[in-house]
Amino acid sequence: MFKTLFPTLTRLRFTIQLLMLFVTVYGGALLGSYVVDRISQTLPSLACAFDKQTGDHCILIVNQHQLHHRIGEALAKAQEITYKVFIPTLVSVGTFFAMFFFLNKAFCGWVCPMGTVQEIVYRIGRRLGRPLHRFSQGNVGRVRPIKWLMLLVLVLGLPLLAGMGTVSNDFGDSYCQVCPSRIATTLLTADTEQIALRTSSGINFFFGALGNALFGFVIIAALAVRQPFCRICPLLSWNALFQRLSPMQLVKRQNDKCDKCSVCEKACPMDIHEIGREHGRKAFHEDCTLCGRCVEYCPDSGVIQIKFFGIPLFKSSRESYKQRVKLETPEGLPKNKVIWLAPAKESQNG
Amino acid sequence: MNRLAGILAAAFALASVPLAFAAGNPAAPAQKDTENHVAHAESRAGKSASWTAFPILKIRMSGEIRERRVIRVISQGIVANRIDAYSSDVNGTAWHRQLVFDLAGAKLEKQLIGGFHWLAAREELDGRVLVASTVHYSTERSAQNPTAMFMRQKHELEIIPQPYPREHSRYRANESWKFLVRFNGKPLVEQKVHVETANGTHTELSSDTRGMVTLVMPDDFMDAKNKNSAHDHGRRGADFVLATEHAEGGISYLTAFNASYGPDAFDQRSLALGLGFTLLGMFGAAPLLRQRKTAKAGTETTKNEDA
Repeated sequence: MFKTLFPTLTRLRFTIQLLMLFVTVYGGALLGSYVVDRISQTLPSLACAFDKQTGDHCILIVNQHQLHHRIGEALAKAQEITYKVFIPTLVSVGTFFAMFFFLNKAFCGWVCPMGTVQEIVYRIGRRLGRPLHRFSQGNVGRVRPIKWLMLLVLVLGLPLLAGMGTVSNDFGDSYCQVCPSRIATTLLTADTEQIALRTSSGINFFFGALGNALFGFVIIAALAVRQPFCRICPLLSWNALFQRLSPMQLVKRQNDKCDKCSVCEKACPMDIHEIGREHGRKAFHEDCTLCGRCVEYCPDSGVIQIKFFGIPLFKSSRESYKQRVKLETPEGLPKNKVIWLAPAKESQNG
Repeated sequence: MNRLAGILAAAFALASVPLAFAAGNPAAPAQKDTENHVAHAESRAGKSASWTAFPILKIRMSGEIRERRVIRVISQGIVANRIDAYSSDVNGTAWHRQLVFDLAGAKLEKQLIGGFHWLAAREELDGRVLVASTVHYSTERSAQNPTAMFMRQKHELEIIPQPYPREHSRYRANESWKFLVRFNGKPLVEQKVHVETANGTHTELSSDTRGMVTLVMPDDFMDAKNKNSAHDHGRRGADFVLATEHAEGGISYLTAFNASYGPDAFDQRSLALGLGFTLLGMFGAAPLLRQRKTAKAGTETTKNEDA
């Protein structure tokens, strides 16, 4: 029965993604009106607090508020930093980690509503016959540091400075102001407030304009680039900090065939070339979202696995690889399906 | 694809411009921020003392540090010697507390339970019962779902928000909100409810068969005196009150519920500009959608399938 409903890992993941999209965008209708009814308020995915119907909140808005209103204010007044100041931050990070512990970065690949929206748009792009642009090994290295800058500057730095009074209060939630998930998830509830630009101050206007332009860019780019925003998402780096502490791990053992194959690299929506060329810890890269496509598309049995407490949940096999490529290319182009426009071609920079 | 990497890098570089500007130009000293918080609290509690004759409760905050901030409840239009404070922990010992008035108002001590608190003042005199009520939100931990707190009977005649705006939210102009009007726990049908705002709106509503009144928050900020005043995070606000009267058993009851509301969600926002910049971003990504003449990668894909 399970095999019939979910013949591939991708089918299972996409079903869960759609379910989680509903929970993270509309789940408040089921769980209740108030924030205290939400699942955790520290979800390791971009479930936007500006969405009034969301079933949970993203950890990043909590981090920004605490740095802005508690730690920053306390530092500014030169008061002693007591447990009263740090405890709330530690509690929220601890709650986040309690959830993150079990699923690790699968929150990015299986739960995040923004990730799901981008995947759906990418699938539409395949049907529309749009080209696939992939990051080469050289170029992907230029983009990867951006997610750390986003975390350090927009999520941690500016809210802290705003709390200390060094910069304007308008910087208190600077990441949220540019986050495309804020616009995407609220639009999904037919709420157009967040796509309207705030004109109350120059800073608000600038951040809003940047956020809207980024949202527009991501939505169109996702037709031709896999997960364009995920690559610079600060939650990807935030989750990467704890990546090694979870019992959920991507494991790859050394295999001589890997040098000549690289199918898993092409299947990876984050263009992690290390998955094809490395093994052990290096194969589980900080950009990995545990989507499991590399596991599905590895043609050799048992080479790549997703393990939980050392127990394999999914592992590569020749048989499932054959079944998988009958349905879809590693790049996500469906086979034997109607293409609405011209067939897609792939390009790779570098 | 070089172009994509370039665009992403350029977008982030662009984002860093205001950050550098802000770092070099302290825009708001900490003291000013604190004043803003207090001003905001006052704004949300309403500044005018004479805009309504109905009994209301106002929240005043003082003190600079969040941990040491003193919160006082002030009553207007009602003579009461205490405030009854109810927490969301309806089964706990902190569910109901009595706050005694001093010269500066009733001090709301630091709560053990965070989240929403129901505050009420009561006056009984010569066969007439007056009740003023409002809601205060505390950022302390251990908040619980406040629905049970709202619904548990606290007075004979009650006006109960259904629901109250959740955390990080508020009543806003042009939004539709429901309130339950009940007497001794039973909904009052076709009960008249008066609505007044500090911005000058006076209107009257009538409850439906379930005792519900639906209030579309008045969009009356255009005429408000505080239209251009500075508030915390640029938010403006004014107070409103709902009041209803009911007589039974020879006793006349008047109950009021007051809270604050803000301007329309699109106040100081531009949908046209928002859509414009979104389209700008879309145009920026449009070159990625063009088909290329070379099919180098397509060949790679074919090769992969044979792997």
